[in-house]
Order: sequence, then structure tokens, then C-alpha cells
Amino acid sequence: MAPPQKSDQEIAAEFTSYYLQRATKEFAEDLDKVRAADDFKNDALQILVSALQQGTTLFSPEEQRRIVMAADRPTPKP
Amino acid sequence: MGKRSSRGPDGAIVPRKRQKVVHEAPTSEEIHASRQLQQLLSFSQDPVRARHGLQSFKLFLDELLSLDGKDGDRFRILRGFLDAAKPAEDDENPVYLPEVMQTWSYGGQTNNDNIMSAVPVVLALLLKLLSQSLDTVQYGLGICRTLLQKRQQELIARNLAADKGKAFIISPTLRMLRESVSFDGGAIARPLFRARASMLKSLARNMGIVHVGDEAEDAKRPSTRTNAVLFFLSALRFLHPEAKKELLSQRDIVAALTRDVKQDPPYVVRELLAGLRSHVLLDDKLPREAKASLLTTSTLTRLSALYQYRLDTPAEDEPSIADIAHEFLMTACTNPSCGVLRQDSGFYPREIDPNAAIPSAQLDDLGLEAIVWMNKFKNEVPVRNYALSNFVLNLRPWSSIKQAELLTSIFRVAPEIVAPYFLNNKSFTFEPKLSATWIGYAAFLFNTVTLPIPDYFCRSTGFPELPPPTSIVIDNILPPPLNQKALSRCLANKSNMISFFATRILVVAIEKLDAAIKMHQDPSHSSKTVWAEAARRLVDEFCQRSPGIKDMINAYRSIPEGDVLQREAASRLLRLCYEVLPQVALMAKFDVSPFLETSLGRLSKQEVDDCRDTALSLKELENLLAIAGYSPGMRWFAASEALSLSPFTLLLKVCVDTPDGVTLETIRQVLNFVAVEQQLVPADETHPGLLALLEALQALRQSAPNSVALVWPFLDNCLTRCANAPVKYVEKMQDLVNEAGLSGGSVSPIAMAMLEQLPFVAAKEGEGARTTLRALGRFLPKFLGLSAVAGESKPLLDLLFSKMVTHLADSKGKLAKAGVPEGLRFQHNPWPPVSEARAGETKHPAASQENGKSEVILDAETLENTLHTPDGLEADNSALTKWSTKTADELVDEGYLTSLMALLVSEHTSIRKEALVNILKAAAKIKQSEYDEKEQVWLLLSELAETARDHINEGPLPSPLASFGCHALNVLRDPLSSLYPKVNTFLTRGPLWNLDRLPLVDEILSKEPIVGDTFYAQTNWLLGYLIDGLRTPRDLDLFHKKRAKGPIFERILALAVNPYLRLPLRTHVLRLLYRATCIEGGSTTLTTRFGILNWLEARQASSTDSSEAALYGALRWRIWETCDQGRLKTWSRGGLEI
Repeated sequence: MAPPQKSDQEIAAEFTSYYLQRATKEFAEDLDKVRAADDFKNDALQILVSALQQGTTLFSPEEQRRIVMAADRPTPKP
Repeated sequence: MGKRSSRGPDGAIVPRKRQKVVHEAPTSEEIHASRQLQQLLSFSQDPVRARHGLQSFKLFLDELLSLDGKDGDRFRILRGFLDAAKPAEDDENPVYLPEVMQTWSYGGQTNNDNIMSAVPVVLALLLKLLSQSLDTVQYGLGICRTLLQKRQQELIARNLAADKGKAFIISPTLRMLRESVSFDGGAIARPLFRARASMLKSLARNMGIVHVGDEAEDAKRPSTRTNAVLFFLSALRFLHPEAKKELLSQRDIVAALTRDVKQDPPYVVRELLAGLRSHVLLDDKLPREAKASLLTTSTLTRLSALYQYRLDTPAEDEPSIADIAHEFLMTACTNPSCGVLRQDSGFYPREIDPNAAIPSAQLDDLGLEAIVWMNKFKNEVPVRNYALSNFVLNLRPWSSIKQAELLTSIFRVAPEIVAPYFLNNKSFTFEPKLSATWIGYAAFLFNTVTLPIPDYFCRSTGFPELPPPTSIVIDNILPPPLNQKALSRCLANKSNMISFFATRILVVAIEKLDAAIKMHQDPSHSSKTVWAEAARRLVDEFCQRSPGIKDMINAYRSIPEGDVLQREAASRLLRLCYEVLPQVALMAKFDVSPFLETSLGRLSKQEVDDCRDTALSLKELENLLAIAGYSPGMRWFAASEALSLSPFTLLLKVCVDTPDGVTLETIRQVLNFVAVEQQLVPADETHPGLLALLEALQALRQSAPNSVALVWPFLDNCLTRCANAPVKYVEKMQDLVNEAGLSGGSVSPIAMAMLEQLPFVAAKEGEGARTTLRALGRFLPKFLGLSAVAGESKPLLDLLFSKMVTHLADSKGKLAKAGVPEGLRFQHNPWPPVSEARAGETKHPAASQENGKSEVILDAETLENTLHTPDGLEADNSALTKWSTKTADELVDEGYLTSLMALLVSEHTSIRKEALVNILKAAAKIKQSEYDEKEQVWLLLSELAETARDHINEGPLPSPLASFGCHALNVLRDPLSSLYPKVNTFLTRGPLWNLDRLPLVDEILSKEPIVGDTFYAQTNWLLGYLIDGLRTPRDLDLFHKKRAKGPIFERILALAVNPYLRLPLRTHVLRLLYRATCIEGGSTTLTTRFGILNWLEARQASSTDSSEAALYGALRWRIWETCDQGRLKTWSRGGLEI
């Protein structure tokens, strides 16, 4: 039986989580530096997370779905 | 004057300091009966006795209140007392509690502060108690009305206006008033407000008497300010709209209300925000002006200080004060009914009339300059939302997520304040720094750029007559902090995150620019030329603020291989540049091939752990493919050293290897497009093109995964050979048709190439060759079977297969027996298709379909937008002086030299002479400099000057020579340019250029490109310089003059017919023709000398792309419109007419 289709909200949430995971991986070094900066206080962590995930808006819902759904497909080995 | 004596007149020592007032605590007694109470409160001139009575009553009421009035005995005592003190029913001015009132009055007369304080204390408590039961309401109302009588009013006013230090008098009075105004659902609120002269006496001042001390204010001992604020809020709650309006118009009170809000205890702030929200903001009956008088810039600013409120310790499920203040401000600032937000006109500032009638002749002559306000708002923008505009300057969006949200929400509803916000807030720069503040600012700017453009620029239902001021539009697309310098430094920053943030902002900015340009090009504009000019100016302004494409390319280049998120964003930016700013993008001579190869190499290895990364990499690939489609000279079939397969085959492999659904439609389209262009497959609309091959490979991967890997080298070989000599395989196919004795039918040229190459595989020895053959034995029948499904000739395919079988490892004859399978189906690709747009197809916004006809028709405007190129040699006389202070690098790189060279085509002899002298001076300056290519640049300038010198008095230099000089300079700047050797050879040939010849035309069109496979890149450069060089009728003569290898036009037209010439270059040729039609006599010459009308007709007929066909049609129409029609009709003897 085919798995049930994911709703747009689920896709958006999964994509955001993937996007953040990818960003933290690619910018690990820079993020450490920002966390050590003098002005990293109060809202800073929240701002940082929201700033990073802003980029998700550049992907249309279809693109997000395609990328998220890729994880559910078996990887073909050449 | 003598020293003031510290002694009194009688010589007694008078203390210098004010004597400390000592409050003696009053005595009290317990109350057991109504009568006792009556006696205690009876009027007495003895203040000690009076206080004793009042204090006893106070304690009595306190206890009752603490028991919620449930103590029946005590309550009966109170009822008995009230009944006894009740005035007669027929009394005209009934006075309740007359004895208490008299005591109060006596206290006033004798200035007894203790009594002045004690009476309101007991009255406030009594009213509070009486309001709890319906039975006692009448007594309470009576007392309230008594308070409204003149004598009591005076006492209240006196109490309220007591010295600032006498909080013990003011506070109880305010409490008493609060109980009165809210008594019985505000029954006496109206008359109480009528007596506002007394009741609101000193309210503003009292709001300023704040709690003093190191500890926080105790809720049980509220400060005067707290009492005043709570009284004000109760009044707001129970007053009718008119009275509320009047109350809110008291500026001093409204100002005092929020002045100290930051120090107020949390419960007061909560009540204040809740009260103002329910009874002002959301009160529909309250007029907007009344709300506006409360929500001034300073009120909003003070409330915004609550974002940093520190006294708050909310419970877990309770919102914090900062949250409540945020909600309040969001409503206040974005809801038009709250009185702050005013309807604005989007990008049109206040005070201008976007529909002003300007005579069309004036608009035609002066363009945008005819609109007086067009350039007026670069430094200051008048707005309708004055309060908001000032308020937003106090927000700190970079350090608070809520403030950023508030600010962008305000921008969304009041777009007019975006531009002034940045103009008035210049202190903050975007200079890159890896800090939380910079990231916060970048996030805020991203959100600002993402905001949509207001409908029709003016938030209306249609476009106004005149375009909005360009400065305002650009400030909304790239706000001033995002200037070229800052953005370039961000892109080049060693921190990848900074570069990534800048890239994303630029992506959304270009998308917004695209939307703005499209709105400028809307067909509904009545004065199209002005809007078109505004759009051009917008693009220019954007280019001045945006970093150069080279910076973007370098940023992309510096991203580590595996960082797909960044690579996707950076490639998307480049793609957008090509799509939205092609003029700028193409100037960069960006060779996408290496990037594409890297991306393909990485994808084809399938080394990533996470499939989502692959999907993201495919997005990058899609972007790169799009760029490859826009830039000339992509080498699809040349395998680089690093790769074993050609980019085309790699792309095919990626397509086959990635699972269904993840593969991008774009990739399929690009593959098919290239395959059709290169004649690998039939260019027939009814043929699925390369899909048959793709389907066969995917089917093979499904049934025999190991075989696919063996097929690739063979397939790559066939594809490359076929692409390099398609005609050869078409001829081979014709031979096959003849051999089969058929009259028609066809197969794909690629199938012919496979037949040709198969014997070479078969001839190889070893296990590897045998397994490859077995794999091909599985693959080829599938491919041929699917080709038959695609509509190719079955008999031909059968014949082809019978020839192939002899080379396949088919010892038992199974393959031969099975033959080409029938009835195969496309399972992985859509065939037959619903409708597929071909990749590379240009989309024209104004293209329309008429009555369902497939023919696309372009209007003159769209044609101009597509083919018009600005004059590259436009005279800028200021160039004569500007250059002298610049360094050699700046002269060459920043266009000062090209501007000087362009002046040689000036109409004015004096300008030409000055230009000549200046060019020579500049040449000398460069020669003495440290500039890397100084010799060549000096030579170029000197030769150009020498060529111009002899004829300087006769007229302008032929434009092609000046244009050549400008374009050649760009080649000399870049020693890696493929034209570098040719330009240098040309320069060293001699000191003077022939005025009748166009430099390098022969060298590019007829000779080997010298450097690699760069014919098309060189042709692109040539067309660029020829377009800039065609400006006057005299230039036109040079283009159609007879030459050994034919006139220039003839050669260019022949070039355009080259089937391998890609769309961008074909469009370049059309641009050249369009340029000719803009010159007097150009269209006529093109028609009579080159048969251009027939040529265009033929091109239109043979074009497979409907948009391109429409372009040919529209250009043909333009030529007819601009030619000398009478003369042509005579010339063609009436045979020529459109």
C-alpha cells in the first residue's frame, strides 16, 4: 500500500528542519564564532535560527516536497 | 545685602530644614452595633475623635471586605447605619452620609490632612463593598451622587491637587473616584465626566508621582501613579464614546499615561495594555481621530520600550509583557481602524499627482525629465503615515525578533515608509561582521526585500499615468544599506555564512526587480515610452547598487564542493542574473562548463549519504543548465580531462540514476533540447526525441542494474560522434532506407551511430568486451523497440537490428529470433506528452494567442524590449575631464577610456579634437603606469588616435572603428580571452586602420578560433561590437559595401542560418537587423540588397519555436513599416507587400 501523502504543513516543517540541519552543518565554524561574539545575548539565538531558516521561502512548495520526499526513496546504487 | 539670619524675629532658633510631619496613628475601637457606628461617625470638631470614628469604620470595612461581605452580623450593622444615615426621599439634594461629608468639609476648612485622607479612604472601601451586592446598590449610587455635589466636588478637587508629597491624600481620592466611575456598571460615569474639572483635576501630574525606592512597588501599597492610571482606565471602560474622545484629547493626560510605563509594576502594565486595547483600539464606536490622539509617535515609542521590560516574571502559561506589548503594537500599527495607519499610495509619495496630465509631446521629447517630481525624492520622502514613519525609527529590528516582525508588518501595510525609513536611518551599515547584530540586520533586510510590491505600485485598481519615482522603487528593492561596496564585501567575505546571507538577499532582490520590470512593461500603460524609460533607469540603478556578476561568480567558485545549500543559492543567483539582467550577465563571459561538469561529476558518482542532498544538488544542476542555455558556447560533447564521459552523457546518466520523481523535468527538457539541436534525434514534434533513449536506459536499469554501467562508454562514443557529424548519419540512414527498398520512413541518427560503432566493440577481446556486448544485447532491442513506439519506421528498425545482431553475443540466436520487441510502453517518461515546452524557449510577456491559433504575435513594444540595445557609443562630454584624475586601472576597468573613445564619433569637430588629444594623453599616462597590459592598451589607443587624426575635420570617425576600440579594450583587459591573440595580431599589423574595413570580421568568421572551441564565444563578441558600431547611414554603407567575401550583412545573415547557432546568438543577429531599421534608409537597403523580408519569412517558417517565429514575424513587420514602401513597391513591381 502506498504511504499516505504528506500534507503541505508536514512537508514545510520537514523541509525547514532539513534546511536548518544542512545550514548548521555547512556553517558550523561560523556559527561557533557568532555564538562567541559579544553581542550574542537575549534574542540572539532565536534571531539566528529564524535568519537561517528564512531561505526556505526561496523554495516553492513543490520543490520542498521533491526534496523532502527524496529521503523516502531508496537510493539506487550504481 | 546682609546674610540672612537664621534666627526668627523673636530671636528663637528656627530650624533650617522643613519640619518633618509626624503622622500619629489614629485610635480605633471595635464596632458591635449600628448605633455605635452612627455615634462614631457623627460630626465632631475634635479631630482626634473624628479620626477615631473614621479609623474604626475603616477597620470594620476592611474586615467585611476580607470576608467578601459574608459576615451577616457585621453586614446588618452596616445596613442599619446606612438606613439611619439615608436622607429623606423627598429631599431635592439628598446627601448620603451627611455627617461623614461634614467631617470631610471640616477637615478641609481646618486643613487637617489626616481627615482629608481618612474620608476618601472609608468612602472608597464602602463603595467597593456596596458594589458587591444588588441590595446595597442604591446606597452606593446615593453616595456617588453625593460626591458629585458642589461641596464634595470642591473637596475632591482639593484633595487631588494636594502637594505632590501628600500621596496619602491623593491616592485614596483616586481610589474613591475609581470605585465611583465603575459603580453599578458605570451608572454615574457620564455625570462624573461632566464634572471633569474637579474629577480629573491634576490627573496628568498625579500620573507622574511614581513609586520611589530601590524595591519594586508593593501591590498592596500602590503608588499615586498606579491609582491614577487605574482610575483613568476605569473611566475609559465606562465612558461613552464622545466622552472618551474628549478624555483622549487631553494631551497632558495621554502623554503622562505612558511616560513612566517602563517602571510600572507588571499588573498595572497588563491592565493598561488590556484596557487600551479593548476600550480604545478595538472600540468600533470610537472615532479614528480619538484613537490617533492616544497613539502618537511618543506613545508608540514608550510602549515599544516594553519590549525590554525587566520587572516581569510571568507564569508558564501566561504571556510576557513583551508579548502583550507586541500584540498591542501589531494591532495598533497595522489595523487601519486603530487610527495610526493611514491609507497611502504605495511607491508614490504624498503630495504628488501620479495622474498629472503632461502633454505627450513633452513626454516624448524629455522622457522622464518631463515629470518634475521624478528625481525629487532621493533624500527626503513626504509621507501620509507621519506618526508611524517617526515611530519605526526607534525600533531595533536587528536585536529583537518581535521588533523585526513589527517593523516588517508595518512596511507591508504602509509601503510608503520603507524608503524614508532607510533614508532617515543612515547610521546603520551592512558592513560584514560575523556578529549577532549583523545577522539580525541581514535577516531584517531579507524580510524587507521580500515584501511584495504594492498593487499597481499605488495600492489601487489600475496603473496611474506616470511611473513611480525610480529612487523609491529601487530603495524598496535594494534598500540603501545594501550598496555595491557592502554587498561585494559580503560576497567576498571569508565567512561562508556572510556570503550566503548576501546571496539570498540578492536572489530575492532580483526576483523583486523582475516583478517591478514586468509591472513597468504592462500593456495597459497609456504612456508606454515613459514607463519603458523608467524600467531602463530602474535596471541601471539596480546595477549600480548590486555587486558585479564577477563578484557573484567568484563567490560561487569559492564555495566548498559539498556545501550544496550554498551552491544552490549561489547558482540560483547567477541564473537569475541571466534571466533578469542578461546584458550584465553576458558581459561577464562566464563559462559555465567547468561548474556543470563538476556538478555532473559529483551527482553521477552518487556519493552522498542523504538523498535530500542529491535533490538539492539537482536544483543547482537545474540552475547551471539554465545558465548554459543562456550563454553561448557550451561544450556539451567535449569530455574534459577530469571526466570520462561528455557532459551530455553525464547529464543523461544523472537522469537515469536518480529515482523517478526526484529527477527534474528541466533536466529532461535540456537533454531533449540539446539532442534535437545536435540532430541526434529527429526534430519532429510528434517524436519524443531523446525520451526513447532515456526510457530504454531507465528500463534497463530496472531490469538489469549492472548492465547500465557497461553501456555508458559505448553510448558516449556514439553520442559524441553523432553530434560532431550528424549529416553523416542522416546519409547513412538514407542508404538504409534505399537498402530496405522503402520510399520513406526514418530512424534516429543516434541509432545509425550505434550500428556503426557496434562492430568496434565486438572486435575487442577479453571478458570486459564480452560483458559489454551482453549488456548491449539487452539494451539495444529495448531502445529500438521504444523507438518504434515513438513512431520511427518499424521495417527500418528491424533491418537495423538484424545488422546489429551479427555483432552481438548471440550464439544461440535468441536475440535474432526475438527481433525488435513490440508493444513496449513508456513507464518512466510522459509519452505521449500532454504538452511540453521546450527548454530554452523564450517567454515573451506580451505574446498572445489569438483565437486559439498557435501563432504567437508580438507587438512593437515587446519587439523593442527584446531587440533594442542602448547606444554603446552615446556621447558623454564630461568624459573629457573626468579621466584625468583616475589611475590607469580605473581608466581601463571603469570605462573612462571607452567613454573617451566614443567621443570620436561626436558630431562636433571641437569635441572630436579634444577627445583625440585626451586619448593621446591618456595613452601616455597608461604607458608610464604599472598597468599589466599597458603596452597593448597604449598601442590600441595610439592606433585609434592616429586613424582618427587625419580625418578629424571631415566628420565623425566611422562608428564600427570606435566600437571596435571599445570592445577590443575589454579583450586586452583579460589575457585569458579567446580573442586576445587575434586582437594583438591585429594591433601589431600596422599603425593605421583602414577606414573602409571592419576589423576582425574575417578573422573571426572565416578563420580557426585559435583557442579551443570558442567560435561561438568569439562570434558573440563580434556581434556585440557590430551592433554598437551601427549607428548612422554612413555606418550602414560600410555594412552593405561589396567585399571580397561578400558584404558584412550577407555574411551575418548566412551565419544566422547555421543550425548550430544557439538562440542567444540568433537573437543577437536580429538585434543587429533591428538596429539597422532604426537608421534612415536601413530597412529599404536591407530589403533591396539582401532580400531581408523573404529571409525573415523563411526563418519564421522553419523555426520550431513559436516565440522565436513570432520574433521573426514582428521584425519583418517592423522592416516593412520603416522602409520606403512606395519605392519598394515600384522596385518589386508590386510583388512585395505585407
